[in-house]
Amino acid sequence: MKLSISRYNPERDEKPYMQDYEIEPGPEDRMLLDLILRLKARDDSLTIRKSCREGVCGSDAININGRNGLACITRLTELKEPVELRPLPSFPIIRDLVVDMTGFFKQYHSIKPYLINHDPAPERERLQSPAQRERLNGAYECILCACCTSQCPSFWWNPDKFVGPAGLLQAYRFIVDSRDHARQERLDDLNDAYRLFRCRTIMNCTEVCPKGLAPSRAIEQIRLMMVRDSL
Amino acid sequence: MAVRKTVTGLRAWLLQRATAVYMLAFLVFFLFHFLLDRPHSYAAWHGWMSAPGVSIAAGVFFAALLLHAWVGVRDVLMDYVRAPALRVCALALLFLGLSATAAWVLRIFLGTAA
Repeated sequence: MKLSISRYNPERDEKPYMQDYEIEPGPEDRMLLDLILRLKARDDSLTIRKSCREGVCGSDAININGRNGLACITRLTELKEPVELRPLPSFPIIRDLVVDMTGFFKQYHSIKPYLINHDPAPERERLQSPAQRERLNGAYECILCACCTSQCPSFWWNPDKFVGPAGLLQAYRFIVDSRDHARQERLDDLNDAYRLFRCRTIMNCTEVCPKGLAPSRAIEQIRLMMVRDSL
Repeated sequence: MAVRKTVTGLRAWLLQRATAVYMLAFLVFFLFHFLLDRPHSYAAWHGWMSAPGVSIAAGVFFAALLLHAWVGVRDVLMDYVRAPALRVCALALLFLGLSATAAWVLRIFLGTAA
């Protein structure tokens, strides 16, 4: 199988370059990550971030043939050769396929990704009805792999000001949580020229989400909540 | 608070959508009129455009067009023009261009009404 992988060693290279490889998958290799790890056994300078290797941790998000995805749940049989692997677009490259996620997590933390509830803590958990719990479906499953945010042109232009689809999906997750009491502050925080409204409904986020989530729908829902509240 | 008073965030988003919906409705109305009852002379066209309902609707259309363009192009400039001085110049040019267009539209309307 032919691979073309973006290589970059900050101590040696001025800019990233593509390196070609040819390697046959082993009998047990099903996913792209299996093949990359096989390649790494041959060339241990190749750097990739990975952990759970089953689509739960989100560590191995990379750009595969132009589209962001998780190497560990991308089937080898579905890939067109030569398979071009690059680091997540627009994120600063640390080395080879490993990127700096600092800006991404800064935006994530800016939406206060935790319940804000100043009521005295109950003896056991804060209960929700099945309908209230249902509203979190499609939002809480996000694994923060950054596939969506890194594929979003609005984030490319304004990574320091636009929260990005992953952060906004999480903002939505807390806005609609019946246990959270900061709905209005959260909406006010997003109502400026950049944090939410840089979204141009390009919908790359929903297109590439490896968990099948729809950040663009969450963004639309937040906008509709703002409209309803303003009427 | 100063930010909230300007046309930004939700207000800009709503303004762009509201003006788009109005322009679409007006264009559909305009095209249907031309399909169903096409004016066959300049006098007929002038008479139709001078009717109070049509001239007000057309005036609102151009106002919507200018506001829509202001919000839309301003967004593009905010994305692509990063240097503050250059951005202010670009926004000023946009404002001048749209103001000139507004003056031109007004002149045509006043000329039509005369």
